[in-house]
Amino acid sequence: MSGSQQLRLASLHDVELAALAATGDRSSFGELVRRHGSGVRGLLRRMGAPAAEADDVAQDAFLAAFEGIAEFRGEGAFAGWVKRIAARQYLRRLQREKRLASLALEAEEAGQDQAVQSEAAGRIDLDEALKTLGAPERLCVTMCYGAGLSHGEAAEALNLPLGTVKSHVKRGLEKLRTRLAPADGASLEGSRANG
Amino acid sequence: MAELDFERGLERLFAEAPSFPDAEAFANRVEGCLARGWNMRSWLIGAAGVAGGVIGASQLILSNFVNRVEDASEGSSKLIQAGIAQVKPGFDLLTLVQSDWAVVWVASGLAVIAMGFVLTKVIEEI
Repeated sequence: MSGSQQLRLASLHDVELAALAATGDRSSFGELVRRHGSGVRGLLRRMGAPAAEADDVAQDAFLAAFEGIAEFRGEGAFAGWVKRIAARQYLRRLQREKRLASLALEAEEAGQDQAVQSEAAGRIDLDEALKTLGAPERLCVTMCYGAGLSHGEAAEALNLPLGTVKSHVKRGLEKLRTRLAPADGASLEGSRANG
Repeated sequence: MAELDFERGLERLFAEAPSFPDAEAFANRVEGCLARGWNMRSWLIGAAGVAGGVIGASQLILSNFVNRVEDASEGSSKLIQAGIAQVKPGFDLLTLVQSDWAVVWVASGLAVIAMGFVLTKVIEEI
């Protein structure tokens, strides 16, 4: 791809790039991958996927997004749309490999020891804080706040009762609030800038 | 209210994409997969078009298309000949048309190519 074409693509909005991609323009879609690839990979890692698996699923999610790009109407953000695809793909993979059930049974205390260190460091780090959550809480919180799924959608995707998902989210939020709340009482956003 | 603020703050934290040193390599890998998939699809569509063209051509040949063309061209040649004979007596169009059957085969070949092209486009659109 030439430099001028790259510049032209970089100046376009996500919706315009998606419209071009819908006509089969792969370089436009490549620009979307450049913009949102890290977000999708990060989301999958936050859901608990190991790095290599997160990248595999992210790649599959983008390929699926290209196939279904005509369905993206630009009503929401492209990042949210592709993140939802990725989250669902990861869950399908977990279900296919029968890992979802074992995750649901996993002890919720797992990983709590790791959290103490980041808290002691006095900085807000979402990734570290997420490690203090049990696997089901982490999945539910990330799906609802990272991928933008409603509790109902998350319950359907996880094949869990709605009440169970709500409980996981509630407990997960309580733990995150404890880990993320800065000692000096500053707002979450303001403290993030320092961290 | 504090709960809502916390949730909004959490959404903002989630929205911040972490930086990966291999972000460009990842994008290139996805683009490479797309290109490979596209090439394979093009080949499959082309192959389907050619197969459709060959099937169409064999159907034309098996349905005595050549004989029908021959009959039709003979009939129309006679009509044209009759018309020409009124205007210019002595000119024999019939022998001119019948002498070159290659024209019919070339026309059939072109029809097959056109059919293959149309089928390819239709499959591509689907």
